[in-house]
Formats: sequence, C-alpha cells, structure tokens
Amino acid sequence: MIANVTGMKCNACGTVSYPKHMVCPKCRGERFTDVVIEGEGTVLTYTDVYALAIEYETRYLRLAIVELDGGVRVTGQLLADKPKLGMRVRTILGIVRQGGEGAIQGLQFVAV
Amino acid sequence: MKPVYIAGAGMTRFGRSEWPLMQLASVASLAALKHAKLGDIPVDGVVVANMGAARMNRQTALGSALVDQLALYPATAESVENGPASGASAVKVGFQAIASGMADVVLVTGVERMRVVNGLEGTDFVASLSHPVAEYIYGVTLPSLAGMFARMFMDRFGVERKHLAMVAIKNHANAAKNPYAHIQQTVTMEGILTLPEAVVNNPPIATPLHMFDCCPVSDGAASLVLVSEAVAAKLGGPKVRIAGMGQATDTHAVHEREDPTDLKSVRLAAAMAFDRAGLTPQDVDVAELHDAFTILEIAESEASGFFPQGEGHKALERGETQLDGTLPINPSGGLKAKGHPVGATGVAQLVELTWQLRGECDARQVKDAKVAYALNFGGFGNNVVASVLQREVS
Repeated sequence: MIANVTGMKCNACGTVSYPKHMVCPKCRGERFTDVVIEGEGTVLTYTDVYALAIEYETRYLRLAIVELDGGVRVTGQLLADKPKLGMRVRTILGIVRQGGEGAIQGLQFVAV
Repeated sequence: MKPVYIAGAGMTRFGRSEWPLMQLASVASLAALKHAKLGDIPVDGVVVANMGAARMNRQTALGSALVDQLALYPATAESVENGPASGASAVKVGFQAIASGMADVVLVTGVERMRVVNGLEGTDFVASLSHPVAEYIYGVTLPSLAGMFARMFMDRFGVERKHLAMVAIKNHANAAKNPYAHIQQTVTMEGILTLPEAVVNNPPIATPLHMFDCCPVSDGAASLVLVSEAVAAKLGGPKVRIAGMGQATDTHAVHEREDPTDLKSVRLAAAMAFDRAGLTPQDVDVAELHDAFTILEIAESEASGFFPQGEGHKALERGETQLDGTLPINPSGGLKAKGHPVGATGVAQLVELTWQLRGECDARQVKDAKVAYALNFGGFGNNVVASVLQREVS
C-alpha cells in the first residue's frame, strides 16, 4: 500500500510532471523533488468501460482524466454517480485494483 | 536512400484460426513469395512483426522460427515488437535494409494468434502497453482510452454517434467484398443505432463507444516481399514503390499530452511520410487507416492531412470516404471489420494497398489508384507509422 501518489517537480525549471520520468520533458533536467498529486480539479473526459482487464469483478469501471488546479493531469477512477464533462472533483486514495501481490492503491475522484 | 519496391503481397483470412502461430505466418509468407514470382532469386532477410506471442503462444524469436519453417537459411532474421504498430515498424526495418543496400530481397510478415486466450486475458494483454503506474493500475484498457478520447473529441467537434455508426456501416460493407475479412456481414443504422433493438445489438464497451465501434479480436497473418530496384527490374510486372515512410512518438500516458484530442504523432508521421515521398495528402487515391475504434478513422483522416480538423465527420457524412467516393478509406473493411490480429495489422494495411495499386481487388477495387496511404497507430497514439505507396508507370 502506498501513502500517496507522487509526481516530480524539476529542480531546474520547476515543471511538475506526472507520471515521473527520468528526464524533465520540459528542460531535460535530471534532478527532481517529489510532489504529492492531490487536490481539486475538473473532469476533462470520462468513460464507463465494460471491456475490463482481468482482476476486476465489477460489471464496468468509471475512469476519468482530471485536470487538477495548477494544471497537472491525472487518470483515475471516478466515483461520481452522474458524471459530466467539466464537473468539479477532488482526489482521494482508494483501492483501484487487485494485483498479484494484493490490493493496489491509487487515485479516485469524488464530486466536490 | 535506394528505392524500395513491393514485389509481392499475401495474407491469411483474418478471424478465428485453428492453425498454430507459425503456420499462420508461413501461409501468408508463401502467398506473398508466390505473388512476387521470385524464381531462384534468394531471400536475404526475414522480419517478423508480432506483439503477444511470448505471452499468448509461449513462443519467442519468431524471425528465426519463420526462416526455419520456410527453409530460407542462412537469411538474416529479426523480430519486431512495437505494440500495435509492430507491422509497419517491421516493414520499416525491411525498407531500411534495402534502402541502405544491405539487402536486395526482404520478406516481412506480421502475425498474431490471440483468440487462443479468453477475452479478458486478451484485453489485459493489449492493456499492458499502457503506462504501468499512471494508467494500467486503474483498469485502463485500450477501449477505455478510446472512449475517453471519443468523448472529448465528439464534444469539441460536434461528432455524433451516428457518425461513428457511419464508419462501421461503411467498413462492414467494404469487408463484405473482401474474402480475407474477419467479419463479412453488413450492418445498418437501424440495427446498431436507431431501432429499440439496437440497445441489445450494440451494447456499450467504453462509453460513448459501443460494440460496433470496436474492432474484433482476430488471428491472422500478412506478408510483403520487399525488393531493390535491380530485383524489381528483373521481375518485371507492376511496380509498387514505398515512396515514403514516417514515424513519430508521443507521451506514454495519454493525459500528459498538451491537447489529448490532438493526434500529434499522426500529424508528424504523416507529414514526414509525404515529405519523403514528395507527395501531398491531395495526391492520395486510397487510404487504410487504423480504425481499431470508429472514432480513430475520423480523427486520423484529419491528422493525416486529408481533411481540416473537425471536418472529418462531415466528409464521411458527404460520402467522400466511401468506396466510390473521392478518397476511399479502408476499402479492405479496416480493422473494424477485416479484423485486427495486432502484429499483422500494419503489414495487412500495406498488403491491401499493394493489391489496390496493382488493380487486384475485384469487387472492392478503387478505380485507377496510383497513390496510397496507410496509418498504423501504436499504443494509444504514442508510436505511429505512416506509409505512402506509389505505382510506377513504365
């Protein structure tokens, strides 16, 4: 289990990237500080996916791409009943998958 | 670079196959070699495209295996795994071998046998190309990436579900004229969208995409024989040249792209292919696009340069992309109906276009086609290969 989801802030140019890379996509810097990916944001898009990978026993999953305030974008599971483009959500941590080594924790979005 | 020609093209029918992996690859290869009429000219190299044999068929090093099946020793052998763009990438490897002068004859074969695993396992296998930490763990599959892309794209450009259905109807109608297609059944707007039964016939897969927006899971193989100018001259016959190839990559996680509705890698790969060919999108007579999902045919037709952004669905609505339109798209039936054996797809697109340029497509022949374009879309747009073919008139 993880305590939180982290991205990286480039020590040279300050760009925050998520997911992490070994090299800053903006300035090619190689030194970073971890930043916690969390907060409020806006739903850019979502889907109810019925074509699921193994390890899910639900009928469908509701996935979304959210743009967090500040500009960082994340993919995660949307827990809102009536999803809409542009709706306001905030991140929480929850179990997103049952992996080979047990439950995997990650980002979920709930309506604000 | 030295010019590179396609001397022969062959494939198996796509669909569910009882043949083992290497039999599929061998049958397509032998068809292409016979089509090329090589006689006693030796094959210098073999390139095999495949994505999932290591996982689904427990077999690796397919290039060496195909050389052995076809007794082509001591030909060189390579295997290319590049996600859903494996096929066109393998063609690129063969192209480079001939363009550089390292080889005169290269056999390129794409093969996939994925119906051997159940649907969940197959979906999960393809999903393993997504970002492991930022996408895959959340249950992201390729249909879900396509669904999220579709919702944004449709909202932004006014594309409706009826437009997606038009892609499916067109490509199923084309596939019904293609004896190599997985699905040879036509569909109607009523049956998949407007009648009450459509809810049952066409259930959601990844909203707003439904079953008839998604390609089937197929087994199959496709093969090309690439040759140098000297060999092409010796063989005689129709001369189809690979006039230009382009390739571009983009971020692994889709959400990291500046504009997730912009298929930037497609724009860059297409521009590179046309530039190298000395041709423009307006020169193209027939195109095969990577319609793993119907929305992609519309988006790729714009990003490839055939229509302005936001106009692809309007061109579709006007019938321009029909078999008898001004720019027929996916005369083979596309991935949507011809099928999508992942590693074979990029090769199969060029097999269809070679046959089109040689005038060998019977009921689905595009009249007097001289320039053709293919787009093989890997990842969810993070690795894309574009190709331009041209028939040379002597």
